[in-house]
Amino acid sequence: MSGCEGGSRMSRSDVVAKGPGKAFMMANEAMVRGALEADVKLYAGYPGSPTSEILDTFYEIHKEMDMRMEISTNEKVAIETAAAAAFAGLRSMTSMKSVGLNVASDSFFSIGYVGVKGGFVMVFADDPYAHSSKSEQDGRLYAPAAYIPMLEPSDPTEAKAMVKQAFDLSEKFGTLVIVRTVTRVNHQSGIVELEPLKRTPFAKVKWPHEPTRFITLADKARAFKKIILERTVKLEEEFERSPLNRVEKGEGDTGIITASAAYNYSVEASELLGIRPHILKLGTTFPLPKKLISDFIRPFKRVVLVEELSPYMENAVKAIAKDVNPAIEIIGKGTGHFSESLEYNTNIVAVVLASVFGKRTPVDYSAVLERAEKLKEGLPVRPPTFCPGCPHRGTLYSLRKALRGVKHVVATDIGCYSMSPLAPLHYGDTMLSMGASLGVAEGLQYCVEEPVVALIGDSTFMHAGLPGLVNAVWHKGNFKLFILDNSVTAMTGQQQNPNSPIHEGADEQKLMLEDIVKGLGVKDITIVDPYDMKATPVKMKEILTRPGLSVVISRRECALYGDRNKRRKGQAIIPNEVDAAACKRIYACVREFHCPSISVDANRKATISKELCDGCNECGQLCPANVIKPSGGGQK
Amino acid sequence: MTTFSVLLSGVGGQGLVLLSNIIGEAGAIAGKKVVTGEQHGLSQRSGSISIHLKVGENIRAPLIPIGSGDAILSLEAMEALRYIEYLKDGGVVVMNRRIMRPVTETGEMVKDKNRKHMELEDIETRLKQVTPHIMVLDALELAKDAGNPLTENVVILGALSVLEAFPLGPEELKAAIGKLVPPKARDANIKAFELGMKAAHERFCKDLACKGIPK
Repeated sequence: MSGCEGGSRMSRSDVVAKGPGKAFMMANEAMVRGALEADVKLYAGYPGSPTSEILDTFYEIHKEMDMRMEISTNEKVAIETAAAAAFAGLRSMTSMKSVGLNVASDSFFSIGYVGVKGGFVMVFADDPYAHSSKSEQDGRLYAPAAYIPMLEPSDPTEAKAMVKQAFDLSEKFGTLVIVRTVTRVNHQSGIVELEPLKRTPFAKVKWPHEPTRFITLADKARAFKKIILERTVKLEEEFERSPLNRVEKGEGDTGIITASAAYNYSVEASELLGIRPHILKLGTTFPLPKKLISDFIRPFKRVVLVEELSPYMENAVKAIAKDVNPAIEIIGKGTGHFSESLEYNTNIVAVVLASVFGKRTPVDYSAVLERAEKLKEGLPVRPPTFCPGCPHRGTLYSLRKALRGVKHVVATDIGCYSMSPLAPLHYGDTMLSMGASLGVAEGLQYCVEEPVVALIGDSTFMHAGLPGLVNAVWHKGNFKLFILDNSVTAMTGQQQNPNSPIHEGADEQKLMLEDIVKGLGVKDITIVDPYDMKATPVKMKEILTRPGLSVVISRRECALYGDRNKRRKGQAIIPNEVDAAACKRIYACVREFHCPSISVDANRKATISKELCDGCNECGQLCPANVIKPSGGGQK
Repeated sequence: MTTFSVLLSGVGGQGLVLLSNIIGEAGAIAGKKVVTGEQHGLSQRSGSISIHLKVGENIRAPLIPIGSGDAILSLEAMEALRYIEYLKDGGVVVMNRRIMRPVTETGEMVKDKNRKHMELEDIETRLKQVTPHIMVLDALELAKDAGNPLTENVVILGALSVLEAFPLGPEELKAAIGKLVPPKARDANIKAFELGMKAAHERFCKDLACKGIPK
């Protein structure tokens, strides 16, 4: 799914350290460590921020740890691959971001029914504030919908411990267990205790051979429903006693119920205000321990619910309070104290607690924000943008040039090219979800007068684009599909995908996009080079005049990925430079191109940062005065 | 030990994540608690990037409350101003004098002949309304002196580390650098760290509470 890499981490050696010991690591790495300590045997996943580092870490260490690991084509395939291992009796794991679970959800619900034999843990991460997601969806609601137990950690230490415990719970109750995180937990780093790592060798097992055991349909489904309802009751009993939930005794007649990252803010805000409310910190959020909650709220006048996104716990507490303490004041989203949107932090919680407890915050937050707003007047925004040398910049330049003067509609998709609707390009009309460009383009070509263009990346095409293309071929859809082929799943950290170059000794087989597209029945296929700023727009323009469905594969590897390969091979990156004396201030290298390595100097002449330039020489081809060249007279 | 909180900022690709890992690793070496939270979203791609970091005993959430940070460390001058709401009044700004022009600003510059770049002096004037303690370094120059222009991040860390309130010492930080940077870049990084410390001592410690100069 969409989202961005968390940066390269250096603590892989700590993840596989024998232990015991301590290490500074990100929660995503700590969860992998927890799974390794639980002797996990198989992992399958598809990258998506903020969970990508889980996949990246498994990718790096799986051979050394003697386990099976796959980067799957999408989250649905991943959950199925991992579930199968657990059906057979081996411990397995998958991870995905919030919207990844939407893709996996069909099988997710069935897995809830049929259950597992070996421990099966799924980490899924919501993204309050939509830092790197297309929505702030609250994935917690999946747990009760599918009757699958859910744990929620607040920090890297808990994240590791909960993953480990989730494997035991999974086997004890024969069900998939969710470890649900938010971005601020996944991307939180801290010092984590490492317990001893006792890996056992990977060995295949005999299939249990209980016919229809993992089949759910009609009367089988009805039988399973009875089982999972009973299982949920037993899980709730277990959670009533679980140390994952704890009451931190305070003073007075007010309690706080909280979980996940919001727990940290609640504690810090209380300390800031010098108050000591009673806190119920929930680690098991489905099924909720209703008796524990009842006992907690029974003596209080007020309870404050601190949770990000929907009032999931708040609504449950309201229902419980009706029976045990109908007079209690329940402060949260329902009273307007907290918002269902954006993420929280300590100052947001402090403002609410200050109003509830009649205190003053140590800092007048709104005054500071107002002053900062004034100080930042005229500060240019710095949105994420295509890297220097990014092939998408060239593809989009050529496409826009080819369509100059022609009103058209662009259905785009999820990936780095999702940045094209942001400043400064503001290019693109619709974007829904992975693979949606094809379905949307199909609908548009029936209904709008303008020509229709669909944009999709190679990884997204393999993830969820194939059915849309089959559909378009079948129904003779009339639109132009541009596959932006940069060889890797770039946005989430340049992971491998079925279209990636295969390194020596790899187990996978590379699939060629043109073979797939041809195999699906597309007749008109063209491959273009996004770095060729002269020929590519001309070719695209010609293709855009053709009737019917055409596929254009715009092919160049991701610049970050390519640069890393170059550095590994000891190849130099030769930056371009501007002959400032000859620059005529035409700005063809700036307008419509917007490369972060190009700016204007004090004389308003174009200048190229040699630290940033990737040496793609696209700008050199754009300059009408021909004054941009590879530096040192070198040849690209 | 009291808590020290610092907002790290810069532009995607400048090595901010490595910098926060170095501080975290130094905390592990020193037996001190460090918590970090990356707030980068899509910003890897030449966008604005920030990381919240706290060192101390009584810490849980990495996010720094508004107006409460002890310091801002910025690898790029505009990005120091972008996160100014996190700094407490009288906190310390340690920043690179380098300005990387965002594509949005360059785009406006070529559209409008009268538009001016935002310059370093302007940024400093604005920051001074929050704090007098602003340490500006030419990290790129010092990094080049250290033998590797990519060590700007470690130069700035060296400067931050001289503050008396910063709870990690130069030896722990250098050990963490040694562990986390590639072996062939190790010497340049250690040198860069030392040059950052030295520059900060020479230029800013008259007005700021600093640690003693190590031998």
